[in-house]
Amino acid sequence: MSIGEFSRVAGMDELPRGASLCVEVGGREILLCHTADGVFAVDNLCSHAQARLCEGKLKGQKILCPLHGAAFDVRDGRALSRPAIRPIASHKVKLDGESIMVALGD
Amino acid sequence: MTKENSQPGEARASGASVADTLATDSRGAPPPLLQQQYQFLGDSDIPCSRYTSQAFADLETERLWGRCWQWACREEHIPDVGDNYVYNIGPYSVIVVRSAQDGIRAFVNSCTHRGTRLLGAEGVGFSPRITCPFHGWSWSVEGRLESLPARWDFPHVGDDSHDLQAVKCETWGGFVFINLDPDALPLAEYLDVMPQHFQHYPLERRRVRLHVQKILPANWKAAQEAFMEAYHNFETHDAPNGANAQYDIFGSYVSRFIHNIGNYSAESLADYPGNKWRDPPLTENQLLQSLSVFGLEQEEVPAGETARSVAAEDLRRLIGKALGVDLSSVSDTLMLDSIEYHLFPNMFFFPGITVPMAYRFRPNGDDIDSSIFDLMVLEPLPEGAEHPEPPEPFKLSVEQSYTEVEALSWLAPVYDEDTGNLDLQQQGLKASRKPGITLGNYQEARIRRVHLTLDEFLKE
Ligand code: FES
Ligand code: FES
Ligand SMILES: [Fe+2]
Repeated sequence: MSIGEFSRVAGMDELPRGASLCVEVGGREILLCHTADGVFAVDNLCSHAQARLCEGKLKGQKILCPLHGAAFDVRDGRALSRPAIRPIASHKVKLDGESIMVALGD
Repeated sequence: MTKENSQPGEARASGASVADTLATDSRGAPPPLLQQQYQFLGDSDIPCSRYTSQAFADLETERLWGRCWQWACREEHIPDVGDNYVYNIGPYSVIVVRSAQDGIRAFVNSCTHRGTRLLGAEGVGFSPRITCPFHGWSWSVEGRLESLPARWDFPHVGDDSHDLQAVKCETWGGFVFINLDPDALPLAEYLDVMPQHFQHYPLERRRVRLHVQKILPANWKAAQEAFMEAYHNFETHDAPNGANAQYDIFGSYVSRFIHNIGNYSAESLADYPGNKWRDPPLTENQLLQSLSVFGLEQEEVPAGETARSVAAEDLRRLIGKALGVDLSSVSDTLMLDSIEYHLFPNMFFFPGITVPMAYRFRPNGDDIDSSIFDLMVLEPLPEGAEHPEPPEPFKLSVEQSYTEVEALSWLAPVYDEDTGNLDLQQQGLKASRKPGITLGNYQEARIRRVHLTLDEFLKE
C-alpha cells in the first residue's frame, strides 16, 4: 500500500448517505463521509488536538470534532472554525461498483 | 379620499378593508385572523439618535439584548443528545445544547476558568462533552464540571461552583428561545396571544426549507422596520396593494399585519401620485397575471370568481402536491396573504402557506450601522413526517443580491427592493437636521409599539 494507489476500503452498503465510517488504510485511520455531494475521505484525527473525528458528527458537508467543536469541510479538509486552524488531509475516492476505493494523498 | 374621523388613528384608506376581503373569500379564515385590534399609541416623532448613537446601542446591549427573549435556533437544529447551536447576539454568545432526548439547556459560551469562549463558530455543532480548548476543563451537556486537569491546584473550586453559567431556555413553535436575564418573566407571558393564534397554524409542524443570512447596511431597528408596514409597497415594490393592509397591536410584545395578495382597491390609492392602478383599475385577470410568479396553472378568472379565489385554489392543489400535505380546507387568506406577526424585539413569524417565512434582525456585532437579517422559509411538514436536518444558511454580504440564492425564486427581487433603501435611510438618519422620524398613526403603529416597549426595557 503506497501513496497514490487505490485500494478497496469499504462497501457502499456500509456507508448510507449522511453517515461516516472510520477505516484503516496502510495503518492510518481514514474517515469516509457520504454527503449529498458524494463520498469523501479525510484523516480521522483532528488537526487541533488529535481527537478522533469518527466520534464527532457529520452535518451536511461538515465533520464536527467532538472535543472542542471545530468543523472541517470533508470535501477538501479545510478547517472551518476555531480552535482548529490547520486543515486535515483529504484523500482521493473512487467508486468501483459497490466498492469504495481510496488513494492516500499525503 | 379617506374615511376621515375625529380621533387620531381612526382614519383608514378608502375601499375594501382586509376584514371586507376575508368576509368575501371563498373559504373562511380561522378566528384569530378575523380579529382586529388596533390601538392609537401617540404621534410624536421618534429620535433619529435611536438608530445612530453609540450610547443608545450600548444601552440596548446591556438592557435589551441582555434581558429579552429571542429565538436562537430551531429544535431540529439539535435533534440528538450532544448536538448544540451557538447563537451570538452583540457581545454575548450562548450555547444551546440537546442535553436529553426531551431536554434542551442553554449556557453562556464562556469558560468558568478564565473566560475563554468554549465554542468558536455560530451555528450547529456536536460535543458530547464541552471541553475548553485553553486548559481542557470540561463539562457534561448538563453543564456540570466533569474534568479539571491538575485538580490539586484548585482546592477553592467547589463541586458545583464552576458549572457552566445557565441561560434561561424555552421552546415554542419549534423555535428554541433564550433569555440572558436570570430573572426574566416566563416565555409564555411574553408570547401573549401567539400560542393561542398559532394553534390554528402550528409552526412546530414546519421544516426549514431555506435559511438566508444577509448583512444589511442599517441599524437593526431601521432594518426590521422596513418589514413592518405595507405602506412602502407602492413606491418600493411598484405594487398596488399596500394601502389597505390591516395592523393590529396585541399588547406590548406582539403585533401583526395582514396584507392581502391578489386584490386591492383602486380607491385606496386616491391620493397617490398619478393614475396608476386607479384609472383604469386592474381587472381580475390582470390581478391573476400578477400572481403568475407563484407558478399558477389557471390563466383566466372565470365569471363570478376572483383572482384570489382562483389563485388560492390553484395553490392548494399545487403546493399540497409538492409538499405532500393536505391543504384542501385551508382558507384563502392563509394560502395567499402576507400575514406577519412580530414578537418583540426582533422576530417575525408568518403563518401563511405561500408566504411562509420567519425573520430575525439583530445588531452585527457592535456596529450600530449594520445588522444581520436571518430569513427562513418554513414549509409545512406532511403529517407524521419527521423534521429533516435544516440546511446551512446562505450567507450574503451587504453587496450581494438575494438573486444569488436561486431557491428564493420570486422572493429574491422583492427582498432586494426592501433592503435597497436601507443604506440611504441609515445615512439620511445621520444627516438629518430634523431630530426625529415621523410615523403614520395606523400603518406605522407597529414600529411605534416596538419603540415604546424598548423604552420599558431601557429604563433601569
Ligand atoms: S481536537 Fe478537534 S477541535 Fe480540538
Ligand atoms: S480558560 Fe478554559 S480551561 Fe482555562
Ligand atoms: Fe416590502
